[in-house]
Amino acid sequence: MAIENVLLALFYVLIFPGIWFLATYGMTLEWVDRKLGAVLQNRVGPPWFQPMADFVKLVSKEVIIPKACDTLMFRNLPYFAVAGVTAAMMMIPVWNGALFSFEGDLIAVIYLLTIPTATFFLAGWSSTSPYAAIGSMRVLTQLFAYEVPLMLALIGPAILAGSWNITAIAEHFARNPAYMPAQIPGFLVAVLALQGKLERLPFDMPHAKTEIVGGQFTEYTGRLLAFFNMAVSMEMVVGAALLNAVFLGGGLGLTGIGAFALFMLKTFGVVLLLVVLRVLMARIRIEQMVNFCWQILAPLAMAQIVFDIFLRIKLG
Amino acid sequence: MKTKSLKEKIITWSRVKSPWILHFNSGGCNGCDIEVVDALTPRYDLERFGIQLKPTPRHADVMVVSGPVTRQQIKRIKRIYDQMAEPKFVVAVGACACSGGVFDGCYCVAPGGLDKVVPVSAYIPGCPVRPEAVIDGVVKLLGSLQK
Ligand code: SF4
Repeated sequence: MAIENVLLALFYVLIFPGIWFLATYGMTLEWVDRKLGAVLQNRVGPPWFQPMADFVKLVSKEVIIPKACDTLMFRNLPYFAVAGVTAAMMMIPVWNGALFSFEGDLIAVIYLLTIPTATFFLAGWSSTSPYAAIGSMRVLTQLFAYEVPLMLALIGPAILAGSWNITAIAEHFARNPAYMPAQIPGFLVAVLALQGKLERLPFDMPHAKTEIVGGQFTEYTGRLLAFFNMAVSMEMVVGAALLNAVFLGGGLGLTGIGAFALFMLKTFGVVLLLVVLRVLMARIRIEQMVNFCWQILAPLAMAQIVFDIFLRIKLG
Repeated sequence: MKTKSLKEKIITWSRVKSPWILHFNSGGCNGCDIEVVDALTPRYDLERFGIQLKPTPRHADVMVVSGPVTRQQIKRIKRIYDQMAEPKFVVAVGACACSGGVFDGCYCVAPGGLDKVVPVSAYIPGCPVRPEAVIDGVVKLLGSLQK
């Protein structure tokens, strides 16, 4: 019995919905992201195996650790980033509810998704290069800008469902699909904040290559860089899955293969939105982003919450 | 010829499919730089070969150098070359980088082109080079890896 439990837990962590699933799906989404971006810019774009080739190449390259670095942190941070994202995935429903579901797992997921960002900051900080240091300061500034709107946007559906449990929120929307259109402003806020979390184009100041070289990853080479890139791709999957569960009703009451197909379809849809945003917009300045997040996104999310409370009181 | 193991084959395949380049101007007239940038535009779309322009030498596999090496740049180009992770390649773009070009023998230029300073894997002639020539040169360099 004990052995079986351990094996099952290992299966969850390593295969599905853990590292293997996240890595493959993350690479697929990364390719979709690059290919669609290319098509929208009138280009041909990379072939389907591109993210895989990048990963294998980086893993097989030399790892340089600069003398001035904090070696212990520098070496281990990429694995922490991957681990944080994988842990978050354990609490998000893929088909029949999440693996570890408890009251308040929405908060736990938000905290776990902050771990990669924290490792990005520490990565830039521990590599002691001026560019990396500027990049990591921007990572933190950006964190304070998008984290609040993201959190507020996710609170709306939680209030409507009367639960802090992601699976319960998804089930609530599956039972009452009519509530879904009312969440559109909150959903848009969450998508924009997710774009900031993933450091993608309008909000890619932390590693803006025309300004500060490689940002927080300036000094990273080989295997360590490969795992950081992997963590970012995985974060995209987890972010899309989170939005799918919280705003789009998860499996919509389906079970088995149908629910899994729906999961794929809807995460794909969220990524599509992210790609269009990335291609349409140019990079803004860091202080413009803070203003935008606090003056537009946060009040919008607040309005959504007030509206949701009203809706809940009115409809019981 | 020694046959390669599967692991080596996969690694070589990945290197051929994903060369990340770093663009370095070692003192050129900017003609070649514009053409390298041109090769990266949607019209030529280098990303379909997996080529990406990387901002830092730490991430790059191929350093694309344009222009003659001025005396000021010798120290810097060596340093940037050392900052790149193995395996690394250098491509000399333009007549100047290949041989010194019209600037050869100038008081401020290191005589004899780029290969007197760092090891060069491929030479792409032209003044300035055409974007097609840059793409062709990089693809041929990568093709030679498979042998
Ligand atoms: S080869 Fe010609 S175009 Fe290129 S840097 Fe030299 S002089 Fe300029």
